[in-house]
Amino acid sequence: MWLNNKHLLYLLPAVSVVFFLFIGGFIEGFIQSMGYFPAAGEREFSFHYYQKILFSQDFWDSLLLTLRIAFLSSVFAGILGMVVCVCLFFLSLSSKKKHNQFWQKFFQLPMAVPPLVTAFLIVLLLGQSGWISRIFGSFEWVDQINQFPILTNDSFGWGIIIAYTWKEAAFIALMLQPMLSRIHGSWLDVSKVFGCGKWSFFREIMFPLLIPAWTSATFIVFAFTFSAFEVPFLLGVTYPKMLPVLSYSLYTSGGLEARPEALAINVILVFLVILIGLIAYRLSKRWYTNEQGGW
Amino acid sequence: MKRSIYLPLTAVCIISILVVIFVNQADNVNSSNGKNNNHDQLLQKDWSDILSVAKGKTVHFYMWGGNEFTNRYIDEWVAPRLKEKLDITMNRVPVKDINDTINKLVAEKQAGKTDGSVDMMWINGENFLSAKQNQLLWGSFSSKLPNVQKYVDQDSPSIKYDFGEPTNGLESPWSKAQFVFIYDSSKIKNPPKSASELKDWVKEHPGKFTYPAPPDFTGSAFIRNMLYETTGGADQYLMPVDEQKGLEKKVQPLWTFLNEIEPYLWREGKTYPETVSKLDQLYADGAVWMTMSYDPSHAANGVKNGNFPETTRTFVLEEGTLSNTSYLSIPFNAKNKAAAMATINFMQSPSAQIAKADPEKWGALMAIEPDKLSTQQRNQLEELDKGEATLPTDVLTKHRVPEIPADYVDLLEERWLENVAK
Repeated sequence: MWLNNKHLLYLLPAVSVVFFLFIGGFIEGFIQSMGYFPAAGEREFSFHYYQKILFSQDFWDSLLLTLRIAFLSSVFAGILGMVVCVCLFFLSLSSKKKHNQFWQKFFQLPMAVPPLVTAFLIVLLLGQSGWISRIFGSFEWVDQINQFPILTNDSFGWGIIIAYTWKEAAFIALMLQPMLSRIHGSWLDVSKVFGCGKWSFFREIMFPLLIPAWTSATFIVFAFTFSAFEVPFLLGVTYPKMLPVLSYSLYTSGGLEARPEALAINVILVFLVILIGLIAYRLSKRWYTNEQGGW
Repeated sequence: MKRSIYLPLTAVCIISILVVIFVNQADNVNSSNGKNNNHDQLLQKDWSDILSVAKGKTVHFYMWGGNEFTNRYIDEWVAPRLKEKLDITMNRVPVKDINDTINKLVAEKQAGKTDGSVDMMWINGENFLSAKQNQLLWGSFSSKLPNVQKYVDQDSPSIKYDFGEPTNGLESPWSKAQFVFIYDSSKIKNPPKSASELKDWVKEHPGKFTYPAPPDFTGSAFIRNMLYETTGGADQYLMPVDEQKGLEKKVQPLWTFLNEIEPYLWREGKTYPETVSKLDQLYADGAVWMTMSYDPSHAANGVKNGNFPETTRTFVLEEGTLSNTSYLSIPFNAKNKAAAMATINFMQSPSAQIAKADPEKWGALMAIEPDKLSTQQRNQLEELDKGEATLPTDVLTKHRVPEIPADYVDLLEERWLENVAK
């Protein structure tokens, strides 16, 4: 019986809460996105709102922007996270344990910072009247602070990308940690015997070892950024908005008529994340079976 | 996935579906039964009985939290006196937009929650309309309050109608406000007096002006004010939206105007500040030279707490700026309705209203009639020092235009996105 499996039993509380809230909320949202909304006196089901969204330019502009920002920030965070992690590994081989732990904790710090605070930090640092711009101004590297490049509330979304790269690189590094801890220091010595430098050690040993965990961690970052709200709300532009912000502004705008539309966007968001998740799952599975085998 | 996972998964799914159905069912039962029975009894009671029911209770007051002075007035002036005089505890809950609270109430209604988390809220305009249309408000309680009977002119159109919608006593007047532009007099010698002068000014000073993106309340008010300016006054919009003929065409000059100034705005109009607080920040940083507020004393307050430069002043347009009354209301499922009534009544008392008009505390216009005050109270009111940045009351009164029906507000906000933001 499944209850005999201890691991599952331990997982059950967490899983049931997540599924209960997620599936319950999802079904509720789905019903409302079909236009069934007794509290506002709407009791008919239709795909009208989905139609309306799929034919609106706003939605496609937002989707494109959301994909671009989520893709870029997860790739940047992935690369940065990997680099930090590998550097920490080599550092741990050459220096004392205590130092090593300090740096590890230091690089995990961004995870503890709430997204809202991250967004404010980015505004304070990178805004045109922000610290960096003012420092540049006082050293006369730029003539006027207005000449500082526009990095927040820009239509490309650099502010959002930087915020998530900074924050999620720490997450990626944390996810890769257990994989690296399996590598013994002596391996490097062994590889040196075979004429392997640090770079080829990374390429031949570490990289293949890290890549499955890295893929899934990067996907989690992608899904997270894809459906994030606070940072894009504070650092985005009026048009186009990222999908979660678009949904929020529809949800809170004036009357209740736009609510099914907002929820339809959320349902589409969920389906897209599931779809991308399936692709990522397939990819990592193929990696496991074809290349290295489960290690 | 292992097969053993499917069984609990399915079970959880089925339970979730059942709960959702049950919740929706509960809502149906609730709305069909007469749920207001014991609440209506409250409205029949004597005022002294209501006060004794209210004793020892806590009111959860949901209000826009974007103004430091408003918050401080509630926390430091109202709350302690309320506790002392009526033994009611005030819990101020700040929200970004009271529309979030309306959404919360819809969710509570849907879930059939009868003891809600909101006891009273600060609303007007489109929020009131949407709350009224969806039956989220409790009942006609306003005329029951002694201070309304004594000090409020209940026949005045600005009390009877809220953005064109009859209030029916579902909300009780608390404050009045008028839209003003705020500028730095050290940088702008002659502030513009009309939309076309504003346009010229913006063109001469690229990057120094912008406005909050609707649906921000202040940004939305700005475009309504510009609507009046560019299409010839407020009167033509006072009838309901569905009776208007050729509205789209009538509104067109507004979009032309806003698009004409767009390339000269902050960030060349590629983006707009999402809230008025952010616009204030830009103004405080010197990035733009003008900001705006629906609170005539906002500029003086900004100078006082050091956010705005000393040289900050306000102006209104020759043709007038929007003015409105804002209200306090009690949701259908408020847990402490008696306490909310007692609190609202207290907040309408002359002492509370005069304190509210004092720029030291907040500086908002009173919702009660100055004529109905005692001589001593009237003197007190006249002695208030409004600060240099606040326009004299008679200037404000002279340049006052009414708000349009709330339906227009949503419509304009929607069209703004299509016509200007894109």
